[in-house]
Amino acid sequence: MNDKLSREEVLHVAELAKIKVTEEEIEKFQVELKKILNDVEKINDVKGYDDDILIAPWSRKTTLREDKEEEMLQPKVVIETAPRHSGNYIEVPVVISEGVSA
Amino acid sequence: MRYLNKDIKTIHELLKNKTIKPIDLVNEAIERIENSTQNAYITLNKEEARKKAIELEGKEVDNILFGLPIAVKDNIITKDLLTTCGSHMLDNFIPIYDATIVEKIKDKNMIIIGKTNMDEFAMGSSSRTSYFGAPRNPWNEEKISGGSSGGSASTIANRDVLFALGSDTGGSIRQPASYTGIVGMKPTYGRISRYGLVAFASSLDQIGPMTKNVYENALLLNAIVGEDEKDLTSARKPEEDFTRYIGKEINGMKIAVPNYLMSDIVSSEIKDSIKETIEMLKKEGAIVEYVDVKYLENAVTLYQIIAMGEASSNLARFDGIRFGHSCENPKDVEELYYETRREGFGDEVKRRIMVGSYLLSGENAKDYYNKALSIRDDMKKEFENTFKNYDLIIGPTTTTTAYNITDPMDDPLKSFMDDVLVIPVNMAGLPGLNIPVGFDKNHMPIGMQIIGNAFEEAKIYQLASFIENKLNLELNPNGGEE
Repeated sequence: MNDKLSREEVLHVAELAKIKVTEEEIEKFQVELKKILNDVEKINDVKGYDDDILIAPWSRKTTLREDKEEEMLQPKVVIETAPRHSGNYIEVPVVISEGVSA
Repeated sequence: MRYLNKDIKTIHELLKNKTIKPIDLVNEAIERIENSTQNAYITLNKEEARKKAIELEGKEVDNILFGLPIAVKDNIITKDLLTTCGSHMLDNFIPIYDATIVEKIKDKNMIIIGKTNMDEFAMGSSSRTSYFGAPRNPWNEEKISGGSSGGSASTIANRDVLFALGSDTGGSIRQPASYTGIVGMKPTYGRISRYGLVAFASSLDQIGPMTKNVYENALLLNAIVGEDEKDLTSARKPEEDFTRYIGKEINGMKIAVPNYLMSDIVSSEIKDSIKETIEMLKKEGAIVEYVDVKYLENAVTLYQIIAMGEASSNLARFDGIRFGHSCENPKDVEELYYETRREGFGDEVKRRIMVGSYLLSGENAKDYYNKALSIRDDMKKEFENTFKNYDLIIGPTTTTTAYNITDPMDDPLKSFMDDVLVIPVNMAGLPGLNIPVGFDKNHMPIGMQIIGNAFEEAKIYQLASFIENKLNLELNPNGGEE
């Protein structure tokens, strides 16, 4: 097994995770991520299990909540937790720039 | 005068007959914590704790936890009190509501003394990934206190407070409890509401009590369990008193020791200590047998896939928009995400999110994640089969005792291997507890893990209290001077 991911592979997983990586970090992650991924390959050595899966050890049936009035968080309190906000809105930078067609 | 090194019944009596007031306990705890070098806390709730203690003076001491300070791990959200998860990402985050468990301890009139140090987002096994520096082990300050609930373990071992809350995704309560010589319980998955516990791996996470002895542990568990309509994975179970079997004999109790837990991955000092305890239990009438439990050796691999996969999804919420850290002057929304997450997360968290995202992407989901879920199911069945013939399972909690804070952190697999013996319990959703059973040659604590069938915490406490009583170890690291 390789002991290093390629530069492109690191950039690909960083993109999946939406994390910017610096040049220095790319080199470090090439080795570290590969080490973990090589270890994960051990899953292919496990034998003898059946196809049933377990997602969570315990969950109960979805039930509807009782229909009753209760105090909710006030919008102002929630909005003010956001790093950038104005009035009753959370501010975000440009999502779609001018001139870009859908 | 020192009170917080005494047992709960003594303190409760003193509060009841008004020899002491809650403020005396709060002041004692604050003084100890402020003068300590343990770095067990990220935030000390000084003023609010004092205010609450004074308020309580007008109230009747109506339950055994009344007026007692409690330390809360910093991934459990507390209204109006900084909650950082040990991360730069949340180092300015003041929650606007309480976790369900926090409401419960407030209902008992317990007093939150502070938020304890931890590995960043609970990812790590030594609390050294904390943005706020590692907490120290009261038995030897050069040593780690384990992780991820290292701060909670440290403050309990140091006898700063009687009660602390931790969380356990792959051993994060039991492993630090073992390294610091305290009692730590990871209850059955579903016992305690996770509403307000910042999610790491939702199908593994569980909150639990950390205390200096078994009785106090069971008392705190009594107060924090229960179904919660805000958490669909919380279980509806009849009310029970978890202290009810404490003090009972163990004659005839059937106990299994999985061979893997006593294999060569465990240091011989620890194995010897566990074997001595096993001999004692046999002498006292328990039936202890070595058994094979399949798939235990695959637990770390399952954890890497399932925990990192779930983490990558859970931590997608940290986007710089709604709360927490946000980068300066992003030119567009993409840069806001990428740069905020680069600045806000530490290396361990970045690695886990990246690997998790990769393992869940495209065909990988089938090749890795689905396979892991299948093996996880078989592991749970193996445990179920074992519990058909045995009341409890025991083994060591850790493969070594606490190591040095300055040991290298350059092996990305190390933090997983530290938890090799404790992860299976999370995979199967079972309850597990650490009980101290001895010391190594440097007088660092050795812990034994007791695993029960689902929702059988009371039985675990029965055996744990029996061992505690029989061994009667000096478990206060400040022992002689107090």
